[in-house]
Amino acid sequence: MLEVRGIEKSFPATKALDGVSLRFGKGEVHGLVGENGAGKSTLMKILAGIYLPDAGTILVDDKPRVFRSVSEAGACGIAMIHQELNLVGALSVAENIFLGREPRRPLWSGRLVDRRLMERNAASLLVNVGAGIDPTRLVESLSVAEQQLVEIAKALASNARFLIMDEPTAVLSERETRSLFSLIRRLAANGVAIVYISHLLPEVLAICKRISILRDGRLVETVSPQDVSERKLAELMVGRELTHVFPEKRPAPDAAPALEVQGIAAAPNVLDVSFSVRPGEIIGLAGLVGSGRTEAAEAIIGLRRRVRGTVRVFNTLVDFRSPRDALAARVAYVSEDRKGRGVHLDMNCIENTTLAHLSAYGAVFPSRSRERRAARGWIERLAIRCPDLLAPIRTLSGGNQQKLAVAKWLDGKPSIIILDEPTRGIDLGAKREMYRLIVDLAEAGLACVVISSELPELIGLCHRIVVLRQGRVAGELAGADELTEQRIMYLSAGVDRSPRFPPPTPTPPTSPPPSSNESQQRKSA
Amino acid sequence: MVAAETLAVSHAHRVATFLERHGVLVAFAALFLWNAVVADTAEIFRNPENLRNIINQNATTGIVAIGMTLVIVAGGIDLSVGSIMALAGAVALLTVNYLLTAGEDGVVAWSEAFAVMAGVGTGLATGLACGLMNGFLVTVGRLPAFIATLGGLSAYRSITLALADGGEIRSASASVLSAMGRGSVTLVPASVLGPEARPITVTWNILLFIAIAIIGHILLTRSRFGRHVIAVGGNETAARYSAIAVNRVRLATFVIVGLCSAIAGLMATARMNSVSSSQLGSFMELDAIAAVVIGGTSMAGGRGRVWGTVLGVMILAIINNMLVFAEVSPYWHGSVKGVIIILAVLIQRGRRA
Repeated sequence: MLEVRGIEKSFPATKALDGVSLRFGKGEVHGLVGENGAGKSTLMKILAGIYLPDAGTILVDDKPRVFRSVSEAGACGIAMIHQELNLVGALSVAENIFLGREPRRPLWSGRLVDRRLMERNAASLLVNVGAGIDPTRLVESLSVAEQQLVEIAKALASNARFLIMDEPTAVLSERETRSLFSLIRRLAANGVAIVYISHLLPEVLAICKRISILRDGRLVETVSPQDVSERKLAELMVGRELTHVFPEKRPAPDAAPALEVQGIAAAPNVLDVSFSVRPGEIIGLAGLVGSGRTEAAEAIIGLRRRVRGTVRVFNTLVDFRSPRDALAARVAYVSEDRKGRGVHLDMNCIENTTLAHLSAYGAVFPSRSRERRAARGWIERLAIRCPDLLAPIRTLSGGNQQKLAVAKWLDGKPSIIILDEPTRGIDLGAKREMYRLIVDLAEAGLACVVISSELPELIGLCHRIVVLRQGRVAGELAGADELTEQRIMYLSAGVDRSPRFPPPTPTPPTSPPPSSNESQQRKSA
Repeated sequence: MVAAETLAVSHAHRVATFLERHGVLVAFAALFLWNAVVADTAEIFRNPENLRNIINQNATTGIVAIGMTLVIVAGGIDLSVGSIMALAGAVALLTVNYLLTAGEDGVVAWSEAFAVMAGVGTGLATGLACGLMNGFLVTVGRLPAFIATLGGLSAYRSITLALADGGEIRSASASVLSAMGRGSVTLVPASVLGPEARPITVTWNILLFIAIAIIGHILLTRSRFGRHVIAVGGNETAARYSAIAVNRVRLATFVIVGLCSAIAGLMATARMNSVSSSQLGSFMELDAIAAVVIGGTSMAGGRGRVWGTVLGVMILAIINNMLVFAEVSPYWHGSVKGVIIILAVLIQRGRRA
């Protein structure tokens, strides 16, 4: 059993944890929820040996322990599956699983790796986690979901009894999520304690036996999923009653389209996408992972070569070669990959805000005072919490970074803005502010395209939703009766939309097909 | 970064942070004071003539290092700087000599001053061309900067050797070119300083170094171009997504370092009034990169400063001067330099795990 008592941890600017006590029992899936900055990640990093707590104790099987490093935590059976996976792409699956713990051959006083034994053990571990992956494959050739399974197998290889999973489903499709859940249940049944961190409350409610809510570095409450609703959980996280997450929808004005996309195709998975959006209108692009939503946006903005189709901006044919061309025509795209593409983490608030449109502040030498004024303006308008204008934005919360990414484009005064997953990984409060902002932008006359995997978000925000499936438009929905999660799911999954069919029920957890088991064993034998 | 957060804000931490940011400044000040006040040779060291000599001898390295700073901040590197220096010098001298060759009638058609100016022009054009070549290989050709300029390092040197037939090119300019290389300006006339004082003068080389340092600093910290350089070096993908013409920015940094190298090459050529095809600028890339690194510029790009590079050059120069005074065998100088580079990086990299 793993227990923490009175854990405290301060950083220069904030007190991240203020006396948190929790117990994680054997075989229990324990959910940990809270807004960004509530202290979940800090607590997990303390358990995983990445941070040392300022005060408090960690007990493993009632014995107090101090973890000065990840390996010390690992020695007590604690393993963490990070949101960003930690695998070496150029090594094989087996090599990754046994990295640093390779089985040795007795020859040459054990300096040689017993590759065959390693691959055999890896194969059986992979079977354990329900992954029919060839252990000799290179990790970089695996899908994200497969890589995650390799991470879990790696944790099991080190005899982990406590598995900390940080947003494990963020990168998974619906089906992959279901199979991950059945794996989690099996691991729990075998006595592994699992700490499950997620923003997605329905998932937390579905998989966890107990759920602990953190807020401002303190434990609010530990609840059982059957005692709370999703809404109640969200309220416990935010600490106030949640009303009106989405601003009121106003009808979009009648006008000629601002952006018209006609039959575009682009590598690798955009085959035939058409849609249009009017000034003041918010449209959604829905679809499963791989349906080509982001790629379509990138093909419009000039980040991908378009091989077919036309794009018109205010009825003028355009062919952007780069986001620079696009911004010159007042079209902006805010990437889904905030940290990798959206903002410069090592630059400060001011530099991030003006980066895309720096020429407006001086042809050669940008005016620092004007830049500062502009940044202050956006910080105020978007309620960005940025205590030090000149500090790198690395330390800001995800929500604030996201607002800066949007501010950067708004500073270029676009008339069309494409927002790709604008609320991914940001907390509820920040999400609500982002929704408000999008609606305000539309009311100010911008044509908005929102790409999102969160259906309630699209339904709550958009006038119309275009659903993509495998690179093509599967359908377009508008009006309150059409904008339902079911309709969107039917279209994006390619299920017949007639109401005779019942909504798909989650398939029961399945064990891996025996055939793949056998082939694995044959290969490793 | 993770580890840095965990450290309590303690006295030691603050000292370490200060050293991380301003280590070069402290090291330079300490070195300078020690040499100018404490050391046995302090009197010789602080003699204005000695100080001027130190700067003058390192002005070429300094100018190349400033260009190198911009390239490295943009996430690149240029190994070909020394070869560009030699090629630019050789082309310049060949131009001068060609123009000063007597025709069939035995008359030299051009004035010496004009010939030297033309030589400077072709030398600079050579630097520009080499920089463009490197830049295009890196941007359009999508080669890693290390590889592209490694090719340049080899090729530009080999062209120089071929032009000079492996030996030396001597200048036909009797006075104008060397006057440029050795000429100086009087800043404070002797009459002001007293009856027996000598005037305070600086060489053209030093003035050029200072001017380029100031331009480089302003370019990097104040200009739009500099901001784009930092953005490209910090995160190239995010820069492209932020409507920055990434290729143009990277190309420009290679052109700038090419021009800086050509200027340095011309300075060295003028000083010697000749070009040694195998010697001029050799190992310059190492000295320039060393100065940039000592100055606190990140080799990963996205973070750097020109003033740090200037201090880096001066630190290496003063240490060299010390070793000469101490009569340490020149064979050992490289080891000392190596230790300094590694120490500088150790102090400045912080505690990023």
